[in-house]
Amino acid sequence: MSQPRSSYAIGTGLFIVLGFAALAYLATQTTSVANVHQGASYTLDARFANIGQLKERAPVKIAGVRIGQVQSITLLPGQEVADVTLSIDQRYNKIPQDSIATIFTSGLLGDQYIGIQYGTAKQLVAPGGTLVFTKPAQQLEEMLGKFFGAGGIADNLGGTYTVTARFTNVGTLAAGAPVKMAGVPIGSVQSVHADPLKLDADVTLAIDKRYNQIPDDSAAAVFTSGLIGTQYVAIQPGGSPDALKQGDEMILTQSAMQLEDLIGKFLVNGSPADKQAAGSVPASSSTAGKH
Amino acid sequence: MNARRWGGSNVVTQTLAQIGACGLFLLTLLAAVPRSFQYFRETSRQLWFVGAMSLTIIMVCGLFVGMVLMLQLYHVLSIFGGTSASGMVVALSVYRELGPVVTALLFAGRAGTAITAEIGLMRATDQIAAMEMMAVDPIAYVATPRFLAGVVAMPLLCCVFCAMAVFGGHLVGVTWLGIDNGTFWSNMTAQVDLRTDIINGVLLKSLAFGAVVTLIAVYQGFATAATSEGVAHATTRTVVASSIAILALDFVLTAFLM
Repeated sequence: MSQPRSSYAIGTGLFIVLGFAALAYLATQTTSVANVHQGASYTLDARFANIGQLKERAPVKIAGVRIGQVQSITLLPGQEVADVTLSIDQRYNKIPQDSIATIFTSGLLGDQYIGIQYGTAKQLVAPGGTLVFTKPAQQLEEMLGKFFGAGGIADNLGGTYTVTARFTNVGTLAAGAPVKMAGVPIGSVQSVHADPLKLDADVTLAIDKRYNQIPDDSAAAVFTSGLIGTQYVAIQPGGSPDALKQGDEMILTQSAMQLEDLIGKFLVNGSPADKQAAGSVPASSSTAGKH
Repeated sequence: MNARRWGGSNVVTQTLAQIGACGLFLLTLLAAVPRSFQYFRETSRQLWFVGAMSLTIIMVCGLFVGMVLMLQLYHVLSIFGGTSASGMVVALSVYRELGPVVTALLFAGRAGTAITAEIGLMRATDQIAAMEMMAVDPIAYVATPRFLAGVVAMPLLCCVFCAMAVFGGHLVGVTWLGIDNGTFWSNMTAQVDLRTDIINGVLLKSLAFGAVVTLIAVYQGFATAATSEGVAHATTRTVVASSIAILALDFVLTAFLM
């Protein structure tokens, strides 16, 4: 008690004030009460059929760069549509009106954000306006379904024609495995053998003659039915006016996915470039990988 | 006051006697609360001593706990691509467990030992006896103000600790490791609940720990053998008993509050 009372009073008062300030900080800033402002901003609306796990204050990105955040998520009254209000930095106010807002996921287990892809319209979207074009969140189940397709056995084959395709890796693909287009069997694998010169696998596909309108720039990919199912060749139609003919070689192929690789790609959320690719390219079109 | 009076030589009965004596002492303390209001100045001085003077260690430790937690979580969660959840995990683990427990352990080391040593020395130098001779109730003047100050100071210290831990996590996660700022906060605010995490976790637990730590410290001070060796032993016992009590009580409280 050597010190005068006022010094205790000031110290104690400061301590109590600091303690309550910390409590207020915890209660308001780290629970779902407050909202962080990042300078001047304007709002845009976007309506999604499905927002997945999108949360308030999730980032809004253009070309992977954060330009704002999700301000609020409400359900439009009487409709099965989520109205998402985006708060966007005033500096980025030149967004074309036909830009597309898409809900992406950072990695397989990451959280979701909104990516805006610029459109081509001259007219800019006005502050407070609505982004008309949106893509809902990709459901993981749908994505996996697209990746793995469904199993099945080829139709009884009448006349067939054969085309070849080269793969760097066919996995466990064997002769007799189905060839499918859009998930429907259209033929079977006639032979699989290694090329002694090019050191890759030369696969001959026998395709039903009914399906003779397959564009010659279609892609062939080795897929697996289900996680541990058998492998088959999936054909993804291209856009060429010319059709595949007997003896043609399919140029665009994608080798068998090793489950380990696949899970690795999904789980290890590597460089930002990977992230963007994984998010923005729908699952089905990522098969045009190896040429 | 001396547990050895009731307990035999058996360790179990001695421990039971200690707990019993401590409980009786708590009743004496609480009974003296109305009388200790006349010593309000002493209470405020103790609040300054156990609270304001502990701020430095609490803040520095909170900062580093948050920083190291974020560093560890980032490296583990990056395996699963879940680094954006690390801010939320830091906040939840600090609010629910680490904040109250570490603050209480530090509080026992910083303030509890000082209380025990001070009261023990008062006993060793017969100051307590002198107070009684002057018709000053030593419980109301010495014990209760310290107890009340500890009960009030602990929740406030714990709030400061948690805020510093979140700040440290933000510092490492957002500034250094490059987690998105908005994601950091949005994940945190989405998962942290005011009632279960802040009130039950931070405030209630730290209130209970503050009461237990100061009760043990004050009790051990009064139970000190009136020698310099006795003061040393009492101080050690305060830390040991407080640590065990904090961790055991933490489990019980978590089981009930979750």
